[in-house]
Amino acid sequence: MKWATREHMHIDRAACAWLVTRFIDADAQFIFVADPTHVPKGATAFDMRGAEYSHVGSDCTFETILRRHELADPVLWKIAQIVHEADIEDGRFDAPEAPGLDAVLRGLSLTGTDEQTLAVSKPIFDGLYEFYRRSLLHGREAS
Amino acid sequence: MDLTSPPPETHPWVLLSYHLPREPSAPRIALWRRFKVLGVVRLQTNLVALPAEAKTREQLEWLAEQVVHNGGEAGVWLATAGSQRQEQDLVASMTADRVAEYRTLAEAVVQAQPLIGTARTTAIKKLRREWRDISRRDYFPPPAKEVISRLLDEMARSALDGAVGAGDIVGVATDAAGAPS
Repeated sequence: MKWATREHMHIDRAACAWLVTRFIDADAQFIFVADPTHVPKGATAFDMRGAEYSHVGSDCTFETILRRHELADPVLWKIAQIVHEADIEDGRFDAPEAPGLDAVLRGLSLTGTDEQTLAVSKPIFDGLYEFYRRSLLHGREAS
Repeated sequence: MDLTSPPPETHPWVLLSYHLPREPSAPRIALWRRFKVLGVVRLQTNLVALPAEAKTREQLEWLAEQVVHNGGEAGVWLATAGSQRQEQDLVASMTADRVAEYRTLAEAVVQAQPLIGTARTTAIKKLRREWRDISRRDYFPPPAKEVISRLLDEMARSALDGAVGAGDIVGVATDAAGAPS
């Protein structure tokens, strides 16, 4: 399936792309557009005004996708808190990781293409997922 | 005369025009809170502005979406000031807002100086968080930003030195045990 989002990905879009590929559509192809009107026919748009998956109420797009696909995995919801705070910064969650991860993703978008951000952010989010999975499993920070 | 190009040396701004129904009040309050966090400058009753960056534009777009979702109307615009003077006034107004916030923070830093031990480290954490919150919406940083940052670093260093002081006995003990001095 084709998925489309705004170019110059930051944390919410990068996290969503990872989420989609790993948990929803293993063959997902991503297209980056400058404007919502440039989304090709048949592509699923996310994290843009008027897109199928977008901010809803106080949710960022990552949370919207989790809800819509009924992904209840607590590890994903932990990552959702970080993405939410990095993206919206409304203090809803205690996520001290947020500013750091946000800086990493912003740096990627400043130095490379969206395809590169996509490639580099995959192992980052895979690693975060494993870290929080083990942490939740053992009730304390994994090491 | 070129009527469409912006004056030289002006910067792009992103504007949010909006109208929300008077009731219910919750969405109005939520919007007002977001405006405060983002540090917008108000141009007119229903028109706010931020310097145009990828992030500010995105944030205002989400707010527009939320306004529409709550039964209102909203538009996001990219604009430049018609004159350098007009832009300078806008920047001055934003900077004055931040300077006032930094000033309040500076007073809190001064008041925290006598604190010792855990109270001191707790105060530093809180003050640093406030500094970060202000600096995030500080698009034209005044000197106060760095001044307060240095004051807080100084405070943290003295708190750490204090902690070392409490553990000095350990240091003395290792010295006595023959560690090279």
